[in-house]
Amino acid sequence: MRGGSIYIERSSGLHRLHPLTKVALTALCFASAAALPGLPWLLALFVGLLLPLAIWGRLTGAFLKACLLVVGPFVLSLTIIQGFFSGGETVLFNLGRFVFTQEGLLAGLTFAARLLVALGGTLLLMQSTPQPHLMQALTERGFPPRIAYVVLTAIQIFPSFQDRAQVIMDAQQARGLELQSGLLNRARLLLPMVGPLILGSVMDVSERAMALEARAFSSPARKTSLNTLADSLLQRALRWLLALAAAALLLWRLWSALQ
Amino acid sequence: MNLRVEGVSFRYPSGVLALDGIDLAIPSGQLLAILGENGAGKTTLVKLFNGLLRPSQGKVYIGDWDSAEHTTAALARRVGFLFQNPDDQLFERTLAREVGYGPRNLGASEAEVKRRVARALKLVGLHDMADAHPYDLPQPQRKLLALAATIAMDTPILVLDEPTIGQDEVGRGAISRILTDLHRMGRTLIMISHDMDFCAEHAQRMLVMLNGKIHVEGTTEDVMGQTKKLDEAEVAPPQLVRLAQALKMPGTPLTVDDFVDEYKQWRKKKKSK
Ligand SMILES: Nc1ncnc2c1ncn2[C@@H]1O[C@H](COP(=O)(O)OP(=O)(O)OP(=O)(O)O)[C@@H](O)[C@H]1O
Ligand SMILES: [Mg+2]
Repeated sequence: MRGGSIYIERSSGLHRLHPLTKVALTALCFASAAALPGLPWLLALFVGLLLPLAIWGRLTGAFLKACLLVVGPFVLSLTIIQGFFSGGETVLFNLGRFVFTQEGLLAGLTFAARLLVALGGTLLLMQSTPQPHLMQALTERGFPPRIAYVVLTAIQIFPSFQDRAQVIMDAQQARGLELQSGLLNRARLLLPMVGPLILGSVMDVSERAMALEARAFSSPARKTSLNTLADSLLQRALRWLLALAAAALLLWRLWSALQ
Repeated sequence: MNLRVEGVSFRYPSGVLALDGIDLAIPSGQLLAILGENGAGKTTLVKLFNGLLRPSQGKVYIGDWDSAEHTTAALARRVGFLFQNPDDQLFERTLAREVGYGPRNLGASEAEVKRRVARALKLVGLHDMADAHPYDLPQPQRKLLALAATIAMDTPILVLDEPTIGQDEVGRGAISRILTDLHRMGRTLIMISHDMDFCAEHAQRMLVMLNGKIHVEGTTEDVMGQTKKLDEAEVAPPQLVRLAQALKMPGTPLTVDDFVDEYKQWRKKKKSK
């Protein structure tokens, strides 16, 4: 599915929601991921809101699988790194001169849960909305196409990370990088893996941007669309509510950080 | 070092049978081209050579090693691999460090690493830029850098997936020269390519795949002459061969010089008739 769309066609209420409503939901997820104080809150949001929405959208399997595939590796590496290196009082076990602390473990898990919530919100949107519809919804509301495109690409790159990560892992192993070795060697994996992942994705985006430019993407002429997107008063209200909640969360977080 | 594939089949977890009963022996020092339409199984086949994939059935031997008994990192001592997209592997701050990464992984001493880096960069013509950042190079040159990184591993066997893709004439010429050098050094070279003219010019032997099977194989001249088989595999012979066939000339000229020679002879014969 490399570079492809992650949209999954189903007939469900979630699919029929106006794309912007789902964008507002995703925004709330990002705000929550950044602002919620601890692990229980984050997990509660995932289980209490995101999962039921996925079930409503008949996406349960694909949704959970994608969450696991993307967040799984992070859970592992983050808990290892935080567990050993972020310090703390409660020692769970030690390995030579390295100690693994409960505080570190918790910090790692919390960070992974933040990723999970942000990713979950993104997946709900992308798996239930064809990309052209999203693009159309954004530009219809006067969103500059250029920015809409950047936002969409950023969201899309995330899942295609999995595929790229596999190719990169193959390439580095072929250069003699041993994978199944001890903990310290794990740290040596980081740069060869993450470097190409990020650099390569940046290149992808700039190439795609050029391809679009060549097709008069930024032409000021108004684009005609063949499709109309259904909206309702209820959804409009819901969107405002979600956006306000997201803003409130962030403000609250900011305010408590300043105390 | 020679390479043997015995009765190999491979099925992806998704259920696709990508290789179906492959038997193949590649003698030491041979330059082999693997051809075939998209999805024929070329990449899957070569991924078995360095353990990135394991056969579902059958065996792959690299010299005297059964590939099943070694990790990819260990097989990297014997099989070097140039991936299609160089950006899937570049991460170091300088060209020299990038090229030295493989040899360091294999435990070469610093002096040895230095020597190999200098030689590999020289071979691909990037020695003047040893301290530049990989992303200061344009994409085609990054591919040459990735090739240098593969060469520096000093493996007896080299696998190249689409080496000429995205290269202009200059880049193609550079790769052609590098392959010729490596071939002269006695390395076993296996390349996958859709670039027919390039394959016809360089390969000693060709292997055409279709639906996970070897459809036809033999010397380059022999394979290029089998129009019907190539047609079935959706592989178009190079321009020169097609031109010769259109003229109803005998033989399969692979280079312009060959063509001119054969054409002159054929004309002479025709006139004397
Ligand atoms: N990771 C994978 N999972 C499942 N199926 C795969 C995977 N990679 C390849 N395949 C399938 O296996 C078959 C052989 O693919 P392969 O990549 O070996 O072909 P190829 O000859 O290299 O093609 P190309 O010229 O496009 O590179 C195809 O049907 C392909 O769809
Ligand atoms: Mg391939």
